[in-house]
Amino acid sequence: MDEAFKRWLCLGCGFLYDEALGAPEHGLAPGTRWADIPDDWRCPDCGTPKRLFEMVELPYAVGQPVPRTSAGGSAP
Amino acid sequence: MNANFVLRAHARGFNRFLSTGESSSYIGGHPDATLTRHSSFNFGPYQSGLRGFGRLRVFGDETFSGTGCGYNIHPHHNFIICAFVLKGQLTHVNTVGNIDQLTEGDYYAFSAGSGGKHCELNLRHEDANILYVWMLPDQLLLPPSYGRAHFDAIAGRNRLVPLVGNADGAIRVSQDVRISRLSADRALGLDYQPGAAEHGVYVFVVGGEARVNEETLQARDSAGIWGAAPVRIQTDAQGSDLLIIETAP
Repeated sequence: MDEAFKRWLCLGCGFLYDEALGAPEHGLAPGTRWADIPDDWRCPDCGTPKRLFEMVELPYAVGQPVPRTSAGGSAP
Repeated sequence: MNANFVLRAHARGFNRFLSTGESSSYIGGHPDATLTRHSSFNFGPYQSGLRGFGRLRVFGDETFSGTGCGYNIHPHHNFIICAFVLKGQLTHVNTVGNIDQLTEGDYYAFSAGSGGKHCELNLRHEDANILYVWMLPDQLLLPPSYGRAHFDAIAGRNRLVPLVGNADGAIRVSQDVRISRLSADRALGLDYQPGAAEHGVYVFVVGGEARVNEETLQARDSAGIWGAAPVRIQTDAQGSDLLIIETAP
C-alpha cells in the first residue's frame, strides 16, 4: 500500500505544502513527495529553507482545501 | 518539545535586524531603526535552541527601536500569532481588515488560517517591547480572524488572569492553549493546575523574580514543565510579572 500523503508547514510563516495537492503554481505537481523536492527548495512565501518545515498531522478546516481552479480559465 | 527545561534570559537566541541593507524589505522604519529579538525557541536565523513547546513554535521578546521600526506587511498561513505589548505602542495592520494601535497591556490574537498578511510598526520615537507568541492551529486553513483585548494591571493585580483561550474574558483561539498573566505586587503563592495531565506549562518572567517549582527565575528567564502535578509559583516580595502558557502536547 502506498504511504499516505503528508502535510508540511513552514515554520517561518505557516505556508502549507500538502503532498496530495502539490504546489502547481510553484512547479510541484500534485502527488510530489516531500522527499522528492530538492533540498535547496525554499518557502515560496517567505524564503525559509526546506529543512525548517515541520510535518504536521492536522486536519483541514471545514470546506478546505478549496479545489484549485484548473489552469487556463481564461485565454492567455 | 515535550521535555522540561529552564531557559535563562541570556541563553535565548538573539538577533538584531537593521531597517537598511539586506533586511530592508522585511524591517520597516527610519534608516537608523533596529529591531531586536530574543527567541525562546528556534526561529529565523536562530536554530540552535529548543524547537518549541507543545503547540508553541515561536516566543519572541522583541524591541522595535526608532520611528517606523517593525515588520513591513508580509504573508502568513495557519499560525495563530499573539502579540502582548509590554511597553510603547504597536500599530498592527492586517488583511482581516483591522488597523489597530495597541499600548501597554493591550494584546491581540491574529489567526492567519487560509491566508492573511500583517504589518507591525512602532510609529513612535520611544521603543516598543512586544512578546510575540505563535502557536499551531488545531485545523489547517481556518478562516482568518483577529481579536484584541486588554490586560488591566490594576484590576488584575495579584491573581491569575486568562488572556487567550477558553476562559471568560479571554480571546478564543482554535487551539488547546491558554495564556494567562500573573502580575503581583507582593509575595504570593499559587498552584497552577494544568487542565489536563498531558499538558505542559511554560512560565516566562516578564519582570521581577519568581520561584517556579524548585527554580528561581529572574526577569526574562523561563521554564517549561510537563506533568499532571500543579506548578508551584511563588512571587517575590518586590513583585513579579509572569506570562503563563498552558499547552496541549
